[in-house]
Amino acid sequence: MTIIEEAKKRGAKTLSEHESKLFLSEFGVPCTQEKTATTEDAAVAAANEIGYPVVMKGSGEALAHKTELDLIALNLRDEKEVREAFKKLTGTKQAEVKEVLVQQMVKGDRELVVGLTRDAQFGPCVMFGLGGIFTEVLEDVAFRVAPLTRWDAMDMMDDIRAKKILAEFRGQPAVDREVLADILMAIGEIGMKFDDVAEIDINPLKIMNGKPVAVDALVVLGNGSK
Amino acid sequence: MENMSGCDLDRLFNPRTLAFIGASASTSKWGFIILFNILKGNYKGRLYPVNPRTKAILGVPCYPSVGDISEDVDLAIITTPAKAVPGLIDECGAKRIPYVIVVSADFSETGPEGARLEHEVTAKARAHGIRIVGPNTMGVFSSQPHLHALMPPIMPLHGQVSMFSQSGNLGAQMLMWGFDEGVGFEKFVGIGNEADLTSIDFLDYFARDERTRIILAYLEGILPNSGLATLARKVSRQKPILVFKGGRTDVGTKAAASHSGAMAGSTRVHRAAFHQAGIIEVPTSQGMMDCAKAFANYPVPRGNRVGILTRGGGWGVITADACVESGLEVPPLPDEIERKISRILPPYWSHGNPVDMVAMGGDGPFMACLETLAAWDGIDAILALGGSGSRAFQYSQEIKGPRELKFVLAQEELIAEKFSNAPESTSVMTRQLVEQTGKPIIAVSLGSAESHKAALKDYHMVSYPTPERAVRVLQLMASYRRFIESPE
Repeated sequence: MTIIEEAKKRGAKTLSEHESKLFLSEFGVPCTQEKTATTEDAAVAAANEIGYPVVMKGSGEALAHKTELDLIALNLRDEKEVREAFKKLTGTKQAEVKEVLVQQMVKGDRELVVGLTRDAQFGPCVMFGLGGIFTEVLEDVAFRVAPLTRWDAMDMMDDIRAKKILAEFRGQPAVDREVLADILMAIGEIGMKFDDVAEIDINPLKIMNGKPVAVDALVVLGNGSK
Repeated sequence: MENMSGCDLDRLFNPRTLAFIGASASTSKWGFIILFNILKGNYKGRLYPVNPRTKAILGVPCYPSVGDISEDVDLAIITTPAKAVPGLIDECGAKRIPYVIVVSADFSETGPEGARLEHEVTAKARAHGIRIVGPNTMGVFSSQPHLHALMPPIMPLHGQVSMFSQSGNLGAQMLMWGFDEGVGFEKFVGIGNEADLTSIDFLDYFARDERTRIILAYLEGILPNSGLATLARKVSRQKPILVFKGGRTDVGTKAAASHSGAMAGSTRVHRAAFHQAGIIEVPTSQGMMDCAKAFANYPVPRGNRVGILTRGGGWGVITADACVESGLEVPPLPDEIERKISRILPPYWSHGNPVDMVAMGGDGPFMACLETLAAWDGIDAILALGGSGSRAFQYSQEIKGPRELKFVLAQEELIAEKFSNAPESTSVMTRQLVEQTGKPIIAVSLGSAESHKAALKDYHMVSYPTPERAVRVLQLMASYRRFIESPE
């Protein structure tokens, strides 16, 4: 069964962060290296495999906005810090955390957002813009109606006020626009093909050596109507 | 609501015979006003007012019903109360009239009872094979047959712009402004409630109509999956589509689980859809006629680089600011062009772009500078500030006084002659330059509304009272050019 079918079967309204990334990876969206773990030892093994430093997040479908619930531990540099973080996250009273996600830590200042939404008049639409915690405050985003051509994807990158963020930035190379265009077009394709996917958020899409990487993702399931 | 693409609406816009049902002798009724406008507009076809209670209206004999008209009828216009319309559709069906414009209101726009009535009208029309415009429309204009079946008393100038509008009063305002601004119309239709013929049908028809070169539309609602954007994307490659959209602000907030859902207001999305379809969305009501005038008369600029010629420095600065703010480029003047202009202007001219003529009067130097700029291949368009309307500097001659004063006043005539321009010759020369170089030369007129109107007497001159309006038009033209050059 596919990821979506399984999630629907258990009545889930969204895919977990990890499931979302697995789904998006199938369409070529570059995602962070990561692994789930339900025990402290498994978490350590995962961290060793991925390579330090790592990030640890409380995982589970109900946890749609992790920063608000303080369920992220950043910059874990060794086994000791991983063990401490595991205890803290699974022991929290804020929510029920049975599983953690151990993830490669992507350093970088630039945070973009890529998303999918369905408009009542025009159908599936791709969103691109400035991401991070100020996304809904700054609202510096552009939309295009799917299906997206490569020209649409390139055009929409210049359609945000902060478009200079895609150029060379504080000693970091410019963003690979071809890869970014591939991602935008892929999201559009998902919108065209999968009625079950109602909304997608990739936020932040961070830039590592000029390459975009999805650091957090959310796929919201719908009822299958276009 | 059936959507028949490719329907031939020629007989709607070129009826040889017209039945006017609901003709009235009462001057406050639409049944009188529209009939009056049809007559005043000198309709070239044969007109049959239909009214069982009157023998004649405005000197034209009336018929008791359409059935009493001996010849075939191409188009019927109905202005009776809504309740009478279904029965009249049956009569039109029996008479085999292919098109009916239902001007009458009080249908689906007023509530469920009206909606039921409207449904009855469309069902009957479908059964008879009749196509309906409206209901609740302010009418139709068509230049070839001189058909002014409109409620407002407008006799539009003739040209190549065709428009459809979801709103009657907005459409009327556009026609009136169009007249003031010298925009010539080919066809106009108020599409009303779109019970049968919709915006898609008219977009498709105007796209195929050889007499239409520019398409205008006022839209509020776009039906889901209507195919409007898809059709527009094809049409835009051939003819510019200018749309003014109403209902832009989002009513109510969306409860969404994601950022994407929360930020995708209907405005952002429709703007995206229009952008991808190459539709030129005008930001203001005034912008509609401003753009129509430019698109109808000038080629689209090949890029976004602008040369500015101005009679005085301040206006040039404002214009350059407006250009840069809207994404247009104001490139620096190359040496070659600077040298050429230095031979025309006094030594203290601006030596740059904007080219400031430092109040050097007369049209000769102005046109010489314009010619030089038009030949510069580093720009794609020119804004000519003071390119029209210098009659503003004419003195008035109303003072009558003692002999000495009369002598002074006589000198005034000579001074006025120096300032007066010959708008006919400058506009002809400007037009020639545009045709030779392919660069739109947009004038901003000096002085008051009077001088602006004088510039429009020759309505092929593309001129605006303010630099901001001129810049906005140029920006929209440049962005349309980007679209036509994008891969299909």
